[in-house]
Amino acid sequence: MNTMARMLNRRRAVLLAAVIVLQSLTAMFFVADVVADLAHDGALEDLHMGLEALASIALVGGILFLMIELRRVLSRMSMLETATQAARGEMAEVIDGFFADWVLTPSERDVALLMLKGIENDEIARLRGTASGTVRAQCAAIFRKAGVEGRPQLFSVFMEELLAGDGAPLK
Amino acid sequence: MTEVAATGAAQTRPRPAPVAVWDPLVRIVHWGVAAAILANATFIEDESLAHEVIGYTAVGLVIVRLLWGLVGTPHARFSAFPPNPVAAVRHLAGHLSGRHRRYLSHNPAGALMAYNLWATILGMGITGYMMTTPAYFGIEWVEELHEGLFAWLMISVVLHLGGVILDSLVTRVPLVAAMIHGKKPVEQSERTR
Repeated sequence: MNTMARMLNRRRAVLLAAVIVLQSLTAMFFVADVVADLAHDGALEDLHMGLEALASIALVGGILFLMIELRRVLSRMSMLETATQAARGEMAEVIDGFFADWVLTPSERDVALLMLKGIENDEIARLRGTASGTVRAQCAAIFRKAGVEGRPQLFSVFMEELLAGDGAPLK
Repeated sequence: MTEVAATGAAQTRPRPAPVAVWDPLVRIVHWGVAAAILANATFIEDESLAHEVIGYTAVGLVIVRLLWGLVGTPHARFSAFPPNPVAAVRHLAGHLSGRHRRYLSHNPAGALMAYNLWATILGMGITGYMMTTPAYFGIEWVEELHEGLFAWLMISVVLHLGGVILDSLVTRVPLVAAMIHGKKPVEQSERTR
């Protein structure tokens, strides 16, 4: 999922939670006030007292509503998170499947994965602590085994799989 | 009290991806109550208006948390950490015999501590309020009860902190950080819901 959208969702949840807490403290003040007035001399039939009591009840009801709303926001966020992780997990399986089909060696697998992550050859060499000539040789082996001519085509193998996978044919 | 993993085998594995367990409301209430207790126990004058306001705020936060225990998110709900002294003792005994179980919500001992802290704070709020009413003003047992509850609260806070530190060390789940950003690192395969 889009990290920006996730951040906005998270911020919205924090804000909602803060509003609930503040409103609850306010509500407690009003409810305590009504209870104290009633205990002293107030009667519910008194217009002022009646209104105050109704307002307090409405306030508490509103807070309960906000709480349920917050739970809904949070559960939607966690469902999205789970779905994203599942998609990520599936993608990893697809990639592993191709690598196995092409009979890549363990180090070729590592290099291919780094390539798919868009990392340049020099950087791959640095990360793996090998010479850049080694990485170039490994790339050549990967392309040969995969039957592609270069990076862009390697990407397209996985793109095709992804696009075909979601059931919507590409025209 | 969702139980997710066991034993020290987890220690050699790489750190698992974090799961969101504590929602923002739980965290706001937690740190709000902590700040209120710290303030009232240390620098706020005992018989000041601020002491009363802060005390009632703590009570209000606890009430919000109790409501959230009924309608809130899965890990925040009472059903995720029912009070169970037998399970708590078994959990602590497990630590002694090297079986360090991990939980997404409170562990059974932590759950008992949470209920204890909430009850103690509510008790302090009630006795504190009584001290301001004409009927109970200056009555000795009310004041003594308020102070006794305060002493118990301080003991509980120390036990709570000790438990958090111990649990974080043996399970490798940083609980303080979890209460700040809301996430506990737990293996994906061991996530139950």
